[in-house]
Amino acid sequence: MSGEVTVTGFGVRTVFGTGAEAIRRGVFAGVPAFMATTRFDTGPYRTPMAAAAPDGPGAVEDWALRHALAQCGAEALDMAGLGRGTEAAVLLGTVGDTISITDYWRAGEAAQGVPARSRERAADAVPAWLAELLATGLGLTGPRLTFTNACVASAAAIIHACRLISSGRLDVAVCAGGYLVEEATFGKFDSGRALSQDGMVRPFSADRSGLLLGDGVAVVVLESAEHARRRGARPLTTVVGWGAATDAYHIAQPHPEGAGLEAATRQALRLAGDPDGAALGYVNAHGTGTKYNDAAETRGLRAAFPKRAESIPVSSTKSTTGHLLQAAGVVEFVITMLALTDGVLPPTAGYTRPDPQCDLDYVPNQPRPVDLRRALTINAAFGGANTALVLERP
Amino acid sequence: MTTQTSRSTAKAVRRSPLGILATATATHGTGRGDDTPLPKLSGFVESSFSPLAYEVSKECLTERPGDGSRTAVVLASLQGDTITEDLAGQRMVSGRVHNPLLFMQATANSVLGYLSREFQITGQMFSLSTLDDPVTELLAMADLLFEDPELERVLVLGVELGGGERVAEVHRELAAGTGRPVPPASPAATATAGLAAAVLLGRPAAGAPVSVRPVSVRPAGGEANERNAGQAERHEAEGSGTAEHPGSIQSLFELAVVHRRLLRDGGSHLLVTAPVAGRAPATFALTAHAPVPGRNETENHADQ
Repeated sequence: MSGEVTVTGFGVRTVFGTGAEAIRRGVFAGVPAFMATTRFDTGPYRTPMAAAAPDGPGAVEDWALRHALAQCGAEALDMAGLGRGTEAAVLLGTVGDTISITDYWRAGEAAQGVPARSRERAADAVPAWLAELLATGLGLTGPRLTFTNACVASAAAIIHACRLISSGRLDVAVCAGGYLVEEATFGKFDSGRALSQDGMVRPFSADRSGLLLGDGVAVVVLESAEHARRRGARPLTTVVGWGAATDAYHIAQPHPEGAGLEAATRQALRLAGDPDGAALGYVNAHGTGTKYNDAAETRGLRAAFPKRAESIPVSSTKSTTGHLLQAAGVVEFVITMLALTDGVLPPTAGYTRPDPQCDLDYVPNQPRPVDLRRALTINAAFGGANTALVLERP
Repeated sequence: MTTQTSRSTAKAVRRSPLGILATATATHGTGRGDDTPLPKLSGFVESSFSPLAYEVSKECLTERPGDGSRTAVVLASLQGDTITEDLAGQRMVSGRVHNPLLFMQATANSVLGYLSREFQITGQMFSLSTLDDPVTELLAMADLLFEDPELERVLVLGVELGGGERVAEVHRELAAGTGRPVPPASPAATATAGLAAAVLLGRPAAGAPVSVRPVSVRPAGGEANERNAGQAERHEAEGSGTAEHPGSIQSLFELAVVHRRLLRDGGSHLLVTAPVAGRAPATFALTAHAPVPGRNETENHADQ
């Protein structure tokens, strides 16, 4: 690795609100944010629950993906001290704003036609277009690329940025991800019987019954350490390792032994110069709360650092935020960064009793103060895609 | 709104060559005689997106088998599987029960997972959406991935579906936003048509008879100018260089056509991609290094 990769700014928005303080009040306090959403009619589905921001005047408009990304992007650039005209890549993880697709087809069933918001935003369904809007809105002049690989999309964007920066190809990359709870995706997960049946997400707990979706948008500014130093910017975190690997097992289920997750984690740890994970003090797990994922993930982590697995705390913040899909990687990256800077581990909320297949320290229900130097954040997706990122406190 | 932010990518594009190990193209539902019979993939229904992606990938990976643990895959598609998205949307608004299979196949990752299982590919896999020319993005991505010394091959592919009226509306808005052309409307009979192209890439020393590298100067008036690239060989310009609709995979098809021709005839060619708003078109030089004796080339779709 020729160039050190640092983080110099971020903006984040979840069901708890905007910014780091909202994350601290919700995620780090272990407060699950699930409620019956009124964003659409949940009557046809097995559950109405999601971690979606409550409706209010202007709420839907305010939460349109293009707006939420722009808001978080502006906050991230402000924090980093970068302005319009910066030559920065914009790397986004999203599958697009699918509300316009739903509106289009619903209009065919109704007399009033396609709502104006969707008629004017038909192209927001195109993932690459959202990156273009974000870059243009922020006045950034670098290349733009959108990653669409489901629940690892924004983690993949961050990994791509790390490679571009560490290889000397560019100095600054703005990495983002966004997902807002909407009916099309909700319905698909319901049809796949993936949604929790008790209104809670209980990762690694014996009585876990599935995931719930959540709103999440985040933008992080990645920058070469040299570039940050030259302009006097303060690094918040350093990214010291990254990895990606595939299960080669199933189109939708994870490898039962967590093989791809293990491989991605091993890559990241090797790059971080710590193949045994000796310096790791925390793992922000993918932890969806499904039977399949959590047991496989536990086995993958055990295989990745067999000597240390039982002594490294692991938690799933999806227990409070819900599953943020394409935004999971970047929002959980921010949460992991806050754990490092605050010296507090966010808990796994909703944890009731141990599962013999999930036998690690999951930081159940209560935050834990720690002196943390390095942390790992991992994600997995449909198709058996896995990512791992190792962060270090400066 | 037209987005007009000028862009600089000077540091983002490297100049190293890549070896082309194999190429493949496929079309479906175009109504032409040379459409490709697509495989039936277990767990995938209704849409040609995943079968197209699988078919071109399989051709490349079968022609040049290799170590799956040292193989990466990158799929580019501007809008992904619009047939599945629209079908799921239509079913939902009409109150019909969601089909779990549509849930499974809704993301491009799913067919990559299928492919990884069939060919035991445990390297990294990415799916992308880009308004720019996919050849430029995919080759740049492969170039970056090859920084990993353990990687031997990168399979890059593009998939594009015709789409119905909703997709046409999306293209109209994109055209207004990017200043680039609207693709011709798909006739109703070919709204479900699709096309895909794949290129299996390796390092130049990996026995690839053809290499591809970016060059810094596009031909002016159709004449190649290679002085800045420091090359003496004569190139024949290939590729229209005219604006395609955003994210069009046409140039990936052209790259496959050129590759086949070079395998047969030798020589070198310049491939000029479509211009992108705020950025000049990219130019790539393809060069044949050695004839492949006794090679039996498949010429399906070679003249598209």
